[in-house]
Amino acid sequence: MKDKALHVLLVEDNAGDARLLREMFRTEKPGSFELTHLLRMSEALVHLGKGGVDVVLLDMGLPDAHGLDTVRQAHAMAPSVPLIVLTGLDDEALAAEAMKEGAQDYLIKGQIENRALPRALRHAIERHRMQAESNLIQTNQMQFKDEFLSHVSHELRSPLTAIYQFVTILLDKLAGELNLEQREYLEIVFRNVKQLHAMINDLLEVTRMQAGKLQIELQQTSISDAIVYAVDTLQGAATAKGITLTSEIDLRLPPACGDPTRIRQILVILLDNAIKFTPANGAVKVKARVSEEDSNLLLLEVSDTGCGISSEMTERIFERLFQTADPASAGRKGLGLGLFICKELVTRQGGRIWARSALGKGSVFFVILHVFSLPSLIAPALKRERQTEGPITLVVTEIGSQTGSLSEEVRAEQSQGVREVLQRCMHSDLDILFPKMGPGGATELFFLLAITDEIGGAAIAKRIQERMDEYEHTQKAGLTFSTSYRSVDAIKRYSNESMKDFVEKVASQIQELMNEEISSRMVKNG
Amino acid sequence: MGNKKILIVDDDPDVRNGMHVRLKANHYDTFFAGDALSSMTEARKHEPDLIILDLGLPAGDGFVVMERLKAIPALAVIPIIVVSARDVLANKERALKAGAKAYLQKPVDNAELLKAIRRALGEPALATKAVVHDLGSL
Repeated sequence: MKDKALHVLLVEDNAGDARLLREMFRTEKPGSFELTHLLRMSEALVHLGKGGVDVVLLDMGLPDAHGLDTVRQAHAMAPSVPLIVLTGLDDEALAAEAMKEGAQDYLIKGQIENRALPRALRHAIERHRMQAESNLIQTNQMQFKDEFLSHVSHELRSPLTAIYQFVTILLDKLAGELNLEQREYLEIVFRNVKQLHAMINDLLEVTRMQAGKLQIELQQTSISDAIVYAVDTLQGAATAKGITLTSEIDLRLPPACGDPTRIRQILVILLDNAIKFTPANGAVKVKARVSEEDSNLLLLEVSDTGCGISSEMTERIFERLFQTADPASAGRKGLGLGLFICKELVTRQGGRIWARSALGKGSVFFVILHVFSLPSLIAPALKRERQTEGPITLVVTEIGSQTGSLSEEVRAEQSQGVREVLQRCMHSDLDILFPKMGPGGATELFFLLAITDEIGGAAIAKRIQERMDEYEHTQKAGLTFSTSYRSVDAIKRYSNESMKDFVEKVASQIQELMNEEISSRMVKNG
Repeated sequence: MGNKKILIVDDDPDVRNGMHVRLKANHYDTFFAGDALSSMTEARKHEPDLIILDLGLPAGDGFVVMERLKAIPALAVIPIIVVSARDVLANKERALKAGAKAYLQKPVDNAELLKAIRRALGEPALATKAVVHDLGSL
């Protein structure tokens, strides 16, 4: 290791800067460094792709790549090679950003002392090695735990299946009549089977969350439907315990931006908990209304007249595996995953959850979700740009299936992957990735709004398609991915037009474009 | 008209037995196999109207069984319902693509299983009957 020359790749298009750096290497002991100097990002990527580079010295202003993009590209091509960026005096903020994107260090041009360069290179390599090692250990541990939990929750399903089968065989009298006592005991077994089933599902859900595989598909979602569903699901349990379960929904409630399955899941967990901790003759109520403070937010409220929790505990209850230590709330406790799952689900939908409670005074759980509206989705981008006449481009990415149909599972799984790709390709400050906008059918559409002209739109679309072609699921699942874009130029804001009216006007134009895209696919697919 | 014949392929004898009792009560005749090899033998012998297939089997999993069934014209036409404890995300699409009519996750609801069987056999759905002992969707 000691005697091996370090292979340094210098990517720098400025002849003067490059010469200075070369000089610095010349003063080093012969054979300690081997320098390759390239002028362009494209050349550097090819070189990195071949391997053998120990460290990269990267200028952030190249003819074919600029700024953080240089770091991203180099890092994506060779994630295991440490990177040092070269910046100008006035670019230290940018250099700090570069470190977040995976650079190990930065050097300011014109301020590099002779002896500092080799040291910086060696440090970068060493630091990178240590980091990679600790990441690997951590990843292995996480992976082991995830695999273990996933394995366990699947393995538990087979014995649970047999128990379920035979309990219901007895309960359904397929093995003969039951006396009252036998029936009562079997009902107890059956109730516990259901509880165990729910726990196994929770365990699997948490495993998925930790592995980043939780699937959430934001779309226009009716809160009242979700409430009706959750109340229906739990009415039986409430009645059995002598608890009144009611709902109160504002009839003019706008749709939320969320995942309908997940919102139902959240409400079921909250109502289930409320019923669990409320004694007979108590009441559980679920309400939904538009937030008084911000009409872009929806407020859901689940209240009970149960045992409550001390106010210091109202935050801790959302922690994983949290169990109340209160002996008064005895009985079966479950895994302590319900509220943790709830919080994760709410947060992943861009919302917030909290509780207000006092011992013996019942609890209220609040959930905030965003209202679904195109104007409120695009307003931030239009304001940020302060652009009143700029062109707007709608980039459309489509997943199709060679077999002509997409199952719900594949749809959800692929959507998540594609959304990740799109997020990496977009300019996070200026572009907006819309939640799911149209009906599915045989295709799934993703809309990305960019405040840019046709050329910018073409560049984004090209970048997306390139990444999509590399996307690992493409071949595997027999799916097709395509990307196109449409530009609307110069939407004018009149001097007498309020920002609100302007945003609404732009939104309706975008909506029209999207409708065209959606309906053209519906025609194509019959 | 005689009862429809269903071949149950699962390596867990208790699960096989439980399914047998439930299906018999719904007027189906059942046969069993516990591994990939015997599932082929049993399928040839009985030429069932439907196969309920587990994925995790000794000596070649459910996908191997599906492949072998598809290679034999007389057996290729038999509808298959996969009932597995394996993760839906990773296996459902693959099973449907391999030709399964449905993918159900263990533990599978009685009502859901019977509904899938009737649909796969092209039988009319039963008039809605209150099913008390289902697993629920919690």
